[in-house]
Amino acid sequence: MGNTVIELKSLSRSYGYGEGTTYALKNFDLTVKRGEFIMIMGPSGCGKTTLLNIIGLLDRPNFGSYILDGESVARLSGRKKAGLRSKKIGLIFQDFNLIPTLNVLDNVALPLTYAGIKSRSKRYIAADKILKRFHLEKREYFLPFQLSGGQKQRVAIARSLVGNPEIILADEPTGNLDSRSAHIVMEELKSLHEDGNTIIMVTHNPSLTTYATRVIHMLDGHIDTDVKTVADQDLPQPVSVHFGRANLDRKNQATEEAETPDISIDIKEEVKSTNKSKRKSNKVKKLQKKSARKKKKETL
Amino acid sequence: MTLLLGTHYHLAYDQVTRNRGRSFLTGLGIAIGVASIILILSLMGSIRNLVETQVKTAGESLIVVRPSTNQSNVDSIVADLTAQNQYLTSNLNLNDVKTIKGIKGVASVAPLAATITTLTTDRLDDNNKSYTHTIDSASLVGTTKDFETVENLSLKAGTFVSDNGKSNTAAIGRDLSLKLFGTQESIGRTFTAFGVKFFITGLLHHEEDPINYNNIDFDNTVFVNADFLSSQGTSLQVQQINIRAKNTNNLASLSEEIKTKLTESKKGDKNFSVMYGDNISHPASNFFSLISGMLTVVAGISLIVGGIGIMNIMLVSVAERTREIGIRKSVGATSGNILQEFIFESLILSTLGGVGGLALGYILAFLLSIITPFNPYIDINILMVTLTTSVVIGLIFGIYPAIKAARKNPIDSLRYFR
Repeated sequence: MGNTVIELKSLSRSYGYGEGTTYALKNFDLTVKRGEFIMIMGPSGCGKTTLLNIIGLLDRPNFGSYILDGESVARLSGRKKAGLRSKKIGLIFQDFNLIPTLNVLDNVALPLTYAGIKSRSKRYIAADKILKRFHLEKREYFLPFQLSGGQKQRVAIARSLVGNPEIILADEPTGNLDSRSAHIVMEELKSLHEDGNTIIMVTHNPSLTTYATRVIHMLDGHIDTDVKTVADQDLPQPVSVHFGRANLDRKNQATEEAETPDISIDIKEEVKSTNKSKRKSNKVKKLQKKSARKKKKETL
Repeated sequence: MTLLLGTHYHLAYDQVTRNRGRSFLTGLGIAIGVASIILILSLMGSIRNLVETQVKTAGESLIVVRPSTNQSNVDSIVADLTAQNQYLTSNLNLNDVKTIKGIKGVASVAPLAATITTLTTDRLDDNNKSYTHTIDSASLVGTTKDFETVENLSLKAGTFVSDNGKSNTAAIGRDLSLKLFGTQESIGRTFTAFGVKFFITGLLHHEEDPINYNNIDFDNTVFVNADFLSSQGTSLQVQQINIRAKNTNNLASLSEEIKTKLTESKKGDKNFSVMYGDNISHPASNFFSLISGMLTVVAGISLIVGGIGIMNIMLVSVAERTREIGIRKSVGATSGNILQEFIFESLILSTLGGVGGLALGYILAFLLSIITPFNPYIDINILMVTLTTSVVIGLIFGIYPAIKAARKNPIDSLRYFR
């Protein structure tokens, strides 16, 4: 029980009334252990996004219970739910959902505003740290429209992480990205998982299931198949306990000092190799042009 | 829940400055309403202040008798303005002046019998040809020599009306002298009023304040001897009797005595008021207060229109930012946070409009003071009331859009514009 972070029992969510009632979820049961990386797949309309919205406290089920970290959320006020969204749960959307009138730094610092951190400088320092981790520090004052899709999604991930949430919910985060950007985003999520965070991700892409410790197929509001690829005892544990906003900086420091795979190295390598191959291909082109000019001279 | 007032203020301020043109036009609606109110209150305050200052300057020994009861409530003031009351005659007369003069403790007493009449005089045109110059609707006041003492009048030249009941002397105001004779040097000139010829013996100094507790524009008035005019068969109504007391310490008891003696001489008729101190200016003050109150209410309508403009723009802002509201809620904003943000935005718009309106109102009042004798009346109470009103307008008209924003469902909001 101590290791169970989310427990859903007989959860049902319906829309409409009477004969027009449709069930997005029907008698849905799910237990999520701390440190799991769950991929949820299924055809359109099977209830994946509805499930994620309920877990993320954006929606309320019609029936059933939802127990989050040992506490039922049924009786929680709107204010408390919002507090959980800013501190315990991080949301990543397919559409990035960045506020277009705020720059990257303000977007990433936004959850800290609602977590109650009144000092603007503290919020910006925390946002800056997270952005450095994703190598976006040079884009801090860019507006979202000035970023590529991959950069936007990394900003969105940074925003979801700035409050040090335990649970990350990702609704098709790679849906609008090219393969390279999608790979970078998945490596980010992998690294977050290795830090001990619990990740629940919805996707249509079967090739991404290699990142998951558990793959759930949904059908018509139920779980069709539920396959664990990693045993519970082998799940990564959190590096340090989530203290709360007062110890935000200490947790960030501990996270950086912990022996976790350095995401930045992966990105650096990625960028290096890309640059290397670019330089190589440019060199080859120059040599080809030189040899072509030589041949032309010889013929003349 | 932490209030995060500073944070929400910054967010709202950023939003307002992002759409400067729109914010300016929205604030302008409030500014115009506030400016109108400030202009009216400043003008009325200036007039009221003027009358009260005059009374104070006139000294603490002044007592004034006026016909009918003391008009200090709204109904009486409104009744005075109705057609019926315009036909009423004053129940004061020259005999009352004699009665008051006989009271011990009275230093001097002068009646004010004002009327509007036609004045004619003979003038020479450019070809030195004589013609009759007429001024219709000129102000003529019948009084006595004591008026000069009671009012501390200063003459630019000559003497005031004589005390002799047979004397057809007159003292004229500067502007009327120019209109009638074409010159200020009118001493010795003659004019005809009520078929009687009068000689100008005195010219009054220019009077800075045309509004006073005597309700006389001294610059445009000619003063003649009331007894003389009465002896010529002209009936005069005495609108006011001004009295100077010998002793300032017992004005109350002297006023009572005057009341008693007048009632006796009028055989029990008590339809007159004996006033001293601040009460002298109250009728004028109350009158102006009523007028300014009515005009302020009318100007307040423009404030309501400005408030509706704020509500309109806020509703547009809520619609434009529907998705943003969903994003904010998804990262932890409560309905209260969203409500606060939009309320602050509305308050900033209305407060900026209010401050702008204050400045605009006083600039207009200063411009008006160039062409009128009314200086802008700046009172901290007017400033506070006007600013508070603009804040309240922002609150009232911003609450509905803010509630609408706070109640938005985050899931539906995130799907907006998809």
